[in-house]
Amino acid sequence: MTEAIFPQVRIVPNRLLFPETVERLLNAICEVGGIRRMVLNGPRLPATVTEGPGRGLPNPHAARKAIRVADKEMELQVQVGYIVLELWDREIIPKLREVCDQTFTGFGYNLQEGKFMKSQMTTSDYAKYGIMEDEQLLGMADPKSKGVPLILQGSR
Amino acid sequence: MAFKPQYGPGSTKIAENRRNYMNPAYKLQKVRDITDEDVVLLMGHRAPGAAYPTAHPPLAEAGEPKCPIRKLVTPLDGAKHGDRVRYIQFADSMQFAPCHPYLRSYLESYRYRGVDPGTLSGRQIVECRERDLEKIAKELVGTEIFDPARTGIRGATVHGHSLRLSEDGMMFDMLARCILDKGTVKYVKNQIGEPLDKAVNVGKPMDDKWLKAHTTIYNSNGGTGFREDKEYVEYVQTVHSLRTKYGAMPKE
Repeated sequence: MTEAIFPQVRIVPNRLLFPETVERLLNAICEVGGIRRMVLNGPRLPATVTEGPGRGLPNPHAARKAIRVADKEMELQVQVGYIVLELWDREIIPKLREVCDQTFTGFGYNLQEGKFMKSQMTTSDYAKYGIMEDEQLLGMADPKSKGVPLILQGSR
Repeated sequence: MAFKPQYGPGSTKIAENRRNYMNPAYKLQKVRDITDEDVVLLMGHRAPGAAYPTAHPPLAEAGEPKCPIRKLVTPLDGAKHGDRVRYIQFADSMQFAPCHPYLRSYLESYRYRGVDPGTLSGRQIVECRERDLEKIAKELVGTEIFDPARTGIRGATVHGHSLRLSEDGMMFDMLARCILDKGTVKYVKNQIGEPLDKAVNVGKPMDDKWLKAHTTIYNSNGGTGFREDKEYVEYVQTVHSLRTKYGAMPKE
């Protein structure tokens, strides 16, 4: 079971972000440190057209791009709309605000504190996924997805 | 005294825009040039210059039965030639798009003959005989009820109308049908997401001031809230009250 004692914050920019902005923001967040888990959320960008007469055709999209964060490359599969962070402690929140102020120059954002990740499985989760091997993944991604979470090396 | 339609209540600019767009006597302001070929490419139903495929023989050759209604109703050009029925579909962003799906259906019903409009939550489809549809589509895309960034021509995978805009001010489109290139919006795919051989330029996105002056959407977050329009609220409440109290016979 995920421990619920860790503080969580959600960064909600007023615009959907370009990969370049996400890269800049995440690198700045990684420099701040103190992040336990992180989820990038937003509308999905499939690699191929999923419905309609053009189904199966390749779907090139400027926002579906590989970005480099803390020397690791990751392929964005969504146009990032908000970023959920689980922190080791609340002390870094003012620093996160500073990072957001510096990154989001043309538009505003909200930084909300609360509980944004699932802390226990629902009945539907059991029906869909069965027993999860790694409970840290709970509420972060589809456990049946073939992709694996990225581990960014921190100082901790 | 001749009947004079009022089209809708409201004392705000939004209500006035709604009334104007629905009123066939109001000429929609032309804001961009778009060629016939571009419209054909955007819709993707036939190749530009190709003959119109037919669904039935031309009416002149069909030997129509004697019918008083057929004498009364002049067929559309497309119906005369036996054209297929085809569609164009729009998605309108909630972020001050110049028109919205319900109003599109109203205005098309008031302004055009032989159309079959259909409204869904974030998109609106209009069906018509192919050659007539092309004329209608040209007007719908070339006038003030279309904005290149906040209105999308989307036949399939329309998701995006209720999302935040992208950093460059474009409405989210999973299929990236249009791109913002050096300040102008270009369609690189047709409405169902098939790549186009030639990009179709639909012009520059309108600025926020223009959009707020031409929108038909009440939005208290930066625009005119619905509750600010007392006359509209009163009208809606009256209709609601009469329907609730008296059902099918609203008499005081």
